[in-house]
Amino acid sequence: MNRNSTSFLKEEYEELVKNSFDWKLRILESGSTPHSVVDGKKVIMLCSNNYLNLSNHPRLIKSSIDAAKKFGAGSGSVRAIAGTMKLHMEVEKRLAKFKRTEASLIYQTGFAANAGLIPQLVTKEDIIISDELNHGSIIDGVRLTKADRAVYKHRDMGELEKILKEADKKHRRILVITDGVFSMDGDIAPMDKIVKLANEYGAMSYVDDAHGEGVIGEDGRGIGAHFKIEGKIDVEMGTFSKAYGVVGGLIAGSKDLTNFAFNKSRTWLLSGSHPPAVAGAQLAAIDVLETEPEYVKNLWDNTNYFKKELISLGFDTGESETPITPVMVGESSKAKELSNKLFTEGIFALPIVFPMVSRNKARIRTMMNAGLTRKDLDYTLDKFEKLGKQLEII
Amino acid sequence: MVSKVGFVVNPIAGMGGKVGLKGTDGVLHQAIKLGAKPFASDKAYETIKKFISSNSKKNQIKWFTSKGEMGSNILNKAGIKNFEIVYSPSNEKTSSEDTKNACKKFIEKNVDLILFCGGDGTARDIFEIVSIKIPVLGIPSGVKMHSGVFGITTIASGKMLNEFVNERLTIGDVEIMDLDEEKYRKGEWNIKLFGIARGIVEPTYIQVGKSTFESVSDNEIKDELFEHINDEIEKNNDCLFLFGSGGTIDHIARKIGIKNTLLGIDAVYNKKIIGSDLNEKGILKLLKKYPKVKLVLSPIGAQGFILGRGNLQLSSRVIKMIGLDNIIIVSTPAKLVSIPVIRVDTGDEKLDDMFAEKEFIMVVIGYRLSRVVKIQTLT
Repeated sequence: MNRNSTSFLKEEYEELVKNSFDWKLRILESGSTPHSVVDGKKVIMLCSNNYLNLSNHPRLIKSSIDAAKKFGAGSGSVRAIAGTMKLHMEVEKRLAKFKRTEASLIYQTGFAANAGLIPQLVTKEDIIISDELNHGSIIDGVRLTKADRAVYKHRDMGELEKILKEADKKHRRILVITDGVFSMDGDIAPMDKIVKLANEYGAMSYVDDAHGEGVIGEDGRGIGAHFKIEGKIDVEMGTFSKAYGVVGGLIAGSKDLTNFAFNKSRTWLLSGSHPPAVAGAQLAAIDVLETEPEYVKNLWDNTNYFKKELISLGFDTGESETPITPVMVGESSKAKELSNKLFTEGIFALPIVFPMVSRNKARIRTMMNAGLTRKDLDYTLDKFEKLGKQLEII
Repeated sequence: MVSKVGFVVNPIAGMGGKVGLKGTDGVLHQAIKLGAKPFASDKAYETIKKFISSNSKKNQIKWFTSKGEMGSNILNKAGIKNFEIVYSPSNEKTSSEDTKNACKKFIEKNVDLILFCGGDGTARDIFEIVSIKIPVLGIPSGVKMHSGVFGITTIASGKMLNEFVNERLTIGDVEIMDLDEEKYRKGEWNIKLFGIARGIVEPTYIQVGKSTFESVSDNEIKDELFEHINDEIEKNNDCLFLFGSGGTIDHIARKIGIKNTLLGIDAVYNKKIIGSDLNEKGILKLLKKYPKVKLVLSPIGAQGFILGRGNLQLSSRVIKMIGLDNIIIVSTPAKLVSIPVIRVDTGDEKLDDMFAEKEFIMVVIGYRLSRVVKIQTLT
């Protein structure tokens, strides 16, 4: 057949551009630091996930260099064949101890953890029960399964229980899955209640705690510690790429879970393992969290101050309970305008617009950083006040 | 892009309701005698004003309308100049014929949407003329508004019009429902499903990139619902399936390859029709023959009824024989946005209570994808 086999590449890209759905990549000319240089402009960074600023911590950098010097630039293989280094095993041991679980397993990325593990936990005779606002990587993991799927209203335990009751009658396995900290609103899943309900109906509990790891719970141990239910969540999934300041996905739970997971997750089995420099930095990140509690403390001090001041200026910060603080704007066009103006003033914060959130709930999403000073926050608040009034948001 | 919108107001809509009548059709004199005053044009004006205030590019609509209180007066009052009068009623006292005549003109003008102000009766008049040729949007102003064409309020209709002209809404099925006058004259109150029109609905979005979404058409969602029901039929090959009415179920049936009755109840066994447009007696007869049965329903009309509106042949006796656990509800997510609850009115208090006790019901919204929706009964 006579066809242009690749013309769609250009056509579909142009369609994205036409609808302003394309990603215009912003280039960091510095490290991801509280004050970064983005597209040539020095800005206060309010959209990085580097919550604790650990990516610039001297201990992480040193440990990364040391590991590279000692073990080389790459790991040589997938974990299953010849790519498991003593260093990887050490990270998993230390992480399990930190998370107070029996075992842990490191994946290449958080996405790889969800996409690899979820489809192995349930199949045709089973059901996944999912919060309606779960993150895209959970959604993709769910799409890869043949299980039935049911969605409950955001954080609504009444609806969850109704579905559990129905599912209990018909399905073999039940998996309840939720984000820990929801990335659009910064609110927290009621994990204690979810685990209790799951236990009552013989369901597995699975939390994607990407934005909670290193942030919530004692010393940033995550959602299990936050609700004091460590070791009781069947799958605590998270990432090293956010507060930990490195890269990599993780799961923590029972030894049975990790044995099952690494033998069955295709993403884990078929991707190369982390280079030694990554594993070295991961190890140091755990060290820092265990021995330097001031990072988590600073993050929360900054968060509480910033949130309090935004509210006193008259901004609506939604239901946020974490360092993700949305500043509600309303119309999508206004949120984009505010983001552009903030950037001109030297503040980098992204707009979240329809259809990521509902039409009248467009917002600027701010993500706090432990490395920002009070002076930085006051400067930011001043600009929010000025522009908020200008755009008639407050 | 400029949208062409036909705009028609039924000036007497709702007058009967204000003085406690069940409608305005045929009882206008009585309504006036009882002190009713027209208010539909005020309702229409609220919608148009809301549209103007939310629409940043004001010249996006080329309006076609009827003269006087049937349209042009309201557009003039709202300061809209870009309109053409395509129909003039011959008498100051307008009737349903005038609504229909205006719609014929709108068809000639090839409009993209008909915006009308009225109630179920007006919706029916319009549907009689335009059928599924042109999508319709109703400004609620009638006594009865069971049809799915109306915005929840006049303001909501204004916002929907704005979203439509800015191409942010899509076209989907909406039910045209009204009181069954024949039964009403015999002393029975029954809301009948008259047809499935085209309306404007919120599209369903699926995430394709980190923050990019694709809107999915109503038909794509219905294809998924077909796959789901098709699987159910294959899984339960000894089971009789009863198909309810409405556009969603009709789509599923056609995909399976059977000729379904759009507004009636059909029986399907092993993917073959074994009973068409069944009445209660016909259904009961089949239920005696087939011990295993599943009933597939979709919420109907603006209030989201699954039972009690437009399908009285599914009597309480029938539902009790089928069993609540054997009812499969299917719906497009767009429909669930406009009807946050599923309503049931079986006319049998005990059966309604059984639904009420469930509190929630699972609604299939995609292939093997469901969510729980609250059930509401009238008791």
